[in-house]
Parts: sequence; C-alpha cells; structure tokens
Amino acid sequence: MIKAKEIYLSYDENRFIIKKGNFQIKPREFVFIGGASGSGKSTLLKSFYGAISLKHGQLIIDDKDISSPSNRTLRSVRKNIGVIFQDYKLIKEWTIEENIMLPLKINGYSSDISKQQAIKLLSHVKLSHREGFYPSQLSGGEQQRVAVARALAHNPKIIIADEPTGNLDDSSADLVWNLLKNANEQLGITIVVVTHRVPRNFGIGFRQLSIEDGIIYEVC
Amino acid sequence: MVLFMKSVKNIFSFVIPLCVMLITFSMYIFTEEIIANYKTQISDDYSIVVITNTPLIKDDINSLAGINVKKIVTLEKEEIIKKVKDSLSENSIFLLKQRLPFFYTLHLETFPTSSQLEQIRKELAKIPNINKIEIFSKDHNKIFSLLILNQNIIIVFFAISLLFSIILFSKQIQIWFYEHQEKISIMQLHGASILYSASAVIRDALIGAFIAFLMVSSLLLFLFENLTIIFPPELHSIIQLEASLNIEFVYLFFLSMSISITTIIGVLFKYKIRKYG
Repeated sequence: MIKAKEIYLSYDENRFIIKKGNFQIKPREFVFIGGASGSGKSTLLKSFYGAISLKHGQLIIDDKDISSPSNRTLRSVRKNIGVIFQDYKLIKEWTIEENIMLPLKINGYSSDISKQQAIKLLSHVKLSHREGFYPSQLSGGEQQRVAVARALAHNPKIIIADEPTGNLDDSSADLVWNLLKNANEQLGITIVVVTHRVPRNFGIGFRQLSIEDGIIYEVC
Repeated sequence: MVLFMKSVKNIFSFVIPLCVMLITFSMYIFTEEIIANYKTQISDDYSIVVITNTPLIKDDINSLAGINVKKIVTLEKEEIIKKVKDSLSENSIFLLKQRLPFFYTLHLETFPTSSQLEQIRKELAKIPNINKIEIFSKDHNKIFSLLILNQNIIIVFFAISLLFSIILFSKQIQIWFYEHQEKISIMQLHGASILYSASAVIRDALIGAFIAFLMVSSLLLFLFENLTIIFPPELHSIIQLEASLNIEFVYLFFLSMSISITTIIGVLFKYKIRKYG
C-alpha cells in the first residue's frame, strides 16, 4: 500500500512541485499518474523510492514511513519494490541475465537461484533467444522488457514505472503493457505508472491520478 | 577485451604510486637495518677510555645511558711503562708502577647516539674513583651524524611519497567512482548498500594493492639476492643483512592493503556524505 498525507515536494524552497498531496493506492491496484510535461509526475514517483525527500507530510510505502527515512529504511523499501525507467537503466557492462539477477543478489539470493530465476524471466518476457547478450546488443523495446523482468525478479509487492513506453514504438509498448497487466492480474503486484498518455482499450481495471499546478486529483 | 584492457589500465594507474610508496618504505626498512647492522659493527671498534685511581669493577657499570656495557678492557700498565723503561731505573719503574692510575676501555653493546654519549659522560663522572673520561665525541659525531642524516632523508622521502601516493590513490578511486557512477546509482536504486554497489571499485583497488605488493616483493627479493653485485666491495661487510625477508614481506603486504582500504573507506565516506548529506 502507498499512502500520502499532505505531502509537499520541491527541489528548492521557492516552488513546490507537489502541494498538499493526499492519496492512497491499495494493494493489487493498477494506477496511472498523468499530467502535462513538467507537472511533477516523475518527481512524485521519485519520492516513492526515496530519490527525493519530502518537504512536509507523510509518505508510507509498504508499511514503512519514508517521510525522512534513514539509509537503512530507504534500502529496505527499495529492495522490496520493482522500478522501471524510461531509459531502462540497465548496467551496460553486464549481460541481460546479470541485470535481471541484480535485485535477487541484493536481496541475498544465491547466484544459482538468481540465475535460474533470470532465465525463467527471460522466457517470460520472450527474450530467451537473447541470453548472454549485453543491453547494447538489444533494441529499445527488448531492453525495456529486460527492465520489466528485472523489476519482477524478486517478486515485489509494488512496481513503479516512469514512462515505461515513452521511448518505444507501438508494438514494443504493447508487449510492455501486457507484461505489466499480467504482473498485476496474475501475480497481484500493485503497479504505479507515470505516463503522459494512458493506453486505449487497456483491458483491465485501473485508477488514474493526475497532477495539475502541483495538486494531485483523481480522474473519474 | 576493451573493458578488460580498460580495467588493467585503471588498476595500473593505482599500482604505480602504490609501488613508489612501497619501494620507499622498503628503502626505509633496508636503511634501518643497515644502520642497525653498522651500529653493531662500529660499536665493536668504538670504546670510551676511563682513568681511575682504584680498580674498576664491571658489576658497578652494567649499563650506561640505557646501553649495556659489553666489556671493560684493562689497558696494561706494562705497555705504558715499556715506552719510558730505558730512561728509568728499576726503582723508578717500580714507583711509577705503584703511582700510575688504572686505564680502561669500555665497550658498549650498541652504538650510542650523541645525546646518549653525553649522558654516559655524566653517569661516568658521578662514579667517585674515575679521574678522567675520554668519549672521543668528535669522531663519534662525524660517523653518527652521517648515519642519522641518511636515516632522516629516507624518513622524509617516505613521508612525502606516502602523502603523494595517498592523494593519487584517492584521486584514482574517485575517478573509478565517476566511471562506475551510473552502475552504482542503478544498484543503489535497487536497495544495494554503498559497499555492495562499489564492490567493483573495491575489488580493483584490492587487486591493485596485491599487484603492487607482488611487484615490490619481487624487486626486493631480486635486490637481496644480488646485494653483493649492486654494492661495491667496501660495503659488503655492512650490507650483510640477516634480516628476515619474510617479515619485510608481511610489512609490505599489510601496508599495501591498509593504505588501499583506508583510502577506499575515506572515498566511500565522502561519497556517502555527498549522496545523502
């Protein structure tokens, strides 16, 4: 569960990007966060994994208060969520399986178990034929599928994604949306996606939040 | 292959300053041992002459200025009388023998420093039956000053190279951090600790430290095996070191590792403060 109470976010003291944000995201929900460019949707998402600190208010992620977290709390929250970025953020010196193994290794799984899980996930994202490849040898859509596999690797309760299809063509974007929908429907993972364009005919139930002038409101 | 070559290049830019520092440290140890060896050798040749009214008992002077007295040698009166014997009668010689004081040379176990020598003079002067003391301080100081000068030059050189090496290591580790910054941030975004996410940097630094240790140890081994070729024959008696190279290797290993680990911790701490501060 994600619970925000009167949160304020800003990069400087003069201008709040998010003002008095109140919302709640329940387990197993699929939530889109929308808004115009520069409205603060990515900033809001960053606050979920502690990349930006709150100026005021309270933010609870998976029962942990990360309003002003210690390094230990922050690490603990990050270990238990999956993150997907628009620019994939794959480690280019590592093979795609090694990239998928990363959250498992951080969570203390053995190399063998991590490797098995990575191979299983490569098959799940339909990239078994790319085993042993480096990210630079893959297309953008394939790299994003590796990022989705990495986000799913440690079976997190929450996945947050920042414009996951922003750099992809329609068919690659559809594959990524399908993977996220499956994760939500079949594995019960809460998914929070920042996007400037909610896909049409999404096929599963979702909620939509939008940000305008720093105010978060629910789109009905 | 490119990544491997880059990694090797990176490691060597860390290894070179570390080698310089380890070589200077070895030179310091080596000089220390040569000086200790030389001190023992010259202490055998060096002695203090004392003149007393009554015979000197060894047990009364077991140590001077904290240095054990190795032996007290009595200078025979006969030797002194022999020089003037021809011009004196039997009776005069007998009387001279009765009146001549006792001459001794004191041999110390180690070579004293100039301040110890002064202390020795004071301690001997306190003994009531000693009339005269000759410590040959002028000769002593000449030799000893040269040794101390050498030793201090090496210490200063070692301190300077240590300082510059640490600056170079920390810069190199910072460069590694910048090179690995993207990787480190991705790992930290997934909840890795700074220690875990910087493991590649730490691994390279430790490999570098080990390579530097191996290189310097090999060089040292080679030098020790060929000391008599490297140094001129006049110095062979001084450089016959009995020092155990194994202990020197242990020193080098710990110095190499501790300098690397300390520098890594310093840079990690700085990185952590900057990241979360």
